[in-house]
Amino acid sequence: MAVFSFREALNQAMTEEMERDDRVFLMGEEVAEYDGAYKVSQGMLKRFGPRRVIDTPISEEGFAGIGIGAAMVGLRPIVEFMTFSFSLVAIDQIVNNAANMRYMSGGQFAVPIVFRGSSGMAGSLGATHSHRLESWYAQVPGLQVVMPATPADAKGLLKTAIRSDDPVVFIEHEVLYHDRGEVPDGEHLVPFGKADVKRLGKDVTLITYSRALKYTLAAAEELAADGIDAEVIDLRSIRPLDIDTLVESVAKTHRAVIVEEDWPYCGLGAGISDRITQRVFDELDAPIRRVASLDAPIPYNRQLEASMLPTPPRIIEAVRDVMYL
Amino acid sequence: MPIEVKMPKLSPTMETGVITQWMVKVGDQIKEGDVLADIETDKATMQMKSFEDGVIAHIDHEEGAEVALGQRVLVLAKKGEDPKEVAANLQKADGAEATNAKAGKNAAQAADAGAGTKAAGAVAVEDEDGQVAKPKAAGTGGRLKSTPLARKIAAEARLDLSRVAGSGPGGRIIRKDVEDYLAGAPSTGAEAPSGLIRRISTEPIAPRRIPHSRMRKTIAQRMVQSKQTAPEIHVTMDVRVDKLMAIREGLNKELATEKVKLSVGDFVTKAVATALRRHPGLNATFEPDAIVQHGEINIGIAVSLEEGLIVPVLQRADELGLIDIRRESEALANAARSGNLTGEQLSGGTFTISNMGMYGVRQFDAIINLPEVAILAVAAAEKRPVVEGDQLVVGTVMTLTLSADHRAVDGAAAADFMRTLKNLLEEPARMLL
Repeated sequence: MAVFSFREALNQAMTEEMERDDRVFLMGEEVAEYDGAYKVSQGMLKRFGPRRVIDTPISEEGFAGIGIGAAMVGLRPIVEFMTFSFSLVAIDQIVNNAANMRYMSGGQFAVPIVFRGSSGMAGSLGATHSHRLESWYAQVPGLQVVMPATPADAKGLLKTAIRSDDPVVFIEHEVLYHDRGEVPDGEHLVPFGKADVKRLGKDVTLITYSRALKYTLAAAEELAADGIDAEVIDLRSIRPLDIDTLVESVAKTHRAVIVEEDWPYCGLGAGISDRITQRVFDELDAPIRRVASLDAPIPYNRQLEASMLPTPPRIIEAVRDVMYL
Repeated sequence: MPIEVKMPKLSPTMETGVITQWMVKVGDQIKEGDVLADIETDKATMQMKSFEDGVIAHIDHEEGAEVALGQRVLVLAKKGEDPKEVAANLQKADGAEATNAKAGKNAAQAADAGAGTKAAGAVAVEDEDGQVAKPKAAGTGGRLKSTPLARKIAAEARLDLSRVAGSGPGGRIIRKDVEDYLAGAPSTGAEAPSGLIRRISTEPIAPRRIPHSRMRKTIAQRMVQSKQTAPEIHVTMDVRVDKLMAIREGLNKELATEKVKLSVGDFVTKAVATALRRHPGLNATFEPDAIVQHGEINIGIAVSLEEGLIVPVLQRADELGLIDIRRESEALANAARSGNLTGEQLSGGTFTISNMGMYGVRQFDAIINLPEVAILAVAAAEKRPVVEGDQLVVGTVMTLTLSADHRAVDGAAAADFMRTLKNLLEEPARMLL
């Protein structure tokens, strides 16, 4: 297996799928002439030309809607948001049109579209550019939401997303673009709805996704030094959720901590915790704990922003709490 | 954050504790394990120890005060916190609490609505979960707190959770507490044997008439028959089980991955089966014209049920290792509790064991399960003073009592069997010979 960066893996996924299927095209702000605000689409304009790699004006609602319309009549658009924070002005298109079209048209129209882009607290971007909207989109029936944490999953999940006949919200994390990792050679597809057990353990189940996986694995190592054997599960796919893998693990460890970068109230972990509790209430030896960002707007100040993150010390504290240590 | 130290659950039934003596004062440096105060519970006077390091910033109650379970008794300043500042903040907070109590209802509503709606600049009392305020521990007495898993394990073992002392926050009973209890961990020192007096209700009691079930009729008939026909002798012996407990602990560690947890009772079953091979006169049934010594050693294990008692049989117990004894005993007990015992599982017994160790019983006599000629009553393994040479030492001791039918078994034979049994249990390695 060759080693690639997260951004190269995304680029490969799009390039391979565009070569495979002429209906696939990319559009968004700065994706063409500038090679992408985060250089994810580097070289793609040169390779595929302006018919398939299209710069748009700063008009998220407009180009999200154009993408949905194109998908309805047979194309397979990839719409890049420079950051998912900007998808807020296009949320009507995504939630009302993309998610509902198949249902509202009685199955006459499918919307095979991928909305992708960066997200998260990435370092002094301020309150308006640091949103984590996964729980907003994950709530909507009709949308699929995926959040890769590794280059291999970035490639495999994006290829699956592009081939999906229904809309996919594909949320990248800005601080992961530089991360490097092994990516399987050849045709590499990662199915939706399948979590990845990153570390086997018997004492506590740590459930996480995207950038928080790195904090969680670091916490698990520290816990191991204290003799606490944590199982770490990377969700990868937020909706559909691989609940079976989660309950299987919790039935083994009898305790769970959910690590997420979004806000605590009505955050993703709240919904996951509910599903676990419904399925394996009798297996729980402690309330499920969540380590989310703090319940406040995201500060611009770096120190304050760092205090918002679900970092290892906070994860370890929660684990010790559910283990009554 | 300073640490609020609350009245701990020092006896499984206490609802309040009286602070009889403070061992610390404001300003004292405390280490984990230091004694903070003597607390008189409903059972005994116990030491309240600190679980944290810190400096005493504030003490809430004078000596002699009666404090409810979970109520704060003192506040510790952690490393890096100024105890005086902590105490000053406490006073402020206590003053504010009175005013907050009025606003409590509104605050609760705000919390329901999802919080986060407060004007900027308001004093930040939200915690990281976006809750306006942590609810004060509501109603400390009364409801038994336990985790779902603890309840599940207790239900499977037919264990009344009120017997178990909770070690979790606020006395919550967690898995470990139930498992420790079921493993029959020898009771330690002052801790009263669990089996507790719950608060006695003064409600008038309605009389009830419970018609005899079939099981009840059988029990009544067979117990009377046994007492009327079998002239019983009782032979009691104290057995030192320190070595056995150590072996059990070691084996259980190794077996943890296989989810096998050997009980003290399993060792007794093994030892009885081994001893019976040497004493065929006790592995027998008394019949009108003969004493029949059996070729198989099939040990009945008394299982108590809500509606009575049943004795499923561990077939050919002498051929089983400890793991199989554990697994099969568990399977039999589960089948008994779910009413799924087969005829085969209920017949063929040649000797019976009745174990009340889990109730903390010190010694008891069992009634012979006719036509068998003997039954062994197993009491709790507990720490007791033991004379070793000329020294008084602490040892783990279990009292066993054999009831034997004197028509078939004479006193010397009963005592001889008990001597063998004691021998095997005190030096479990002899079971390998």
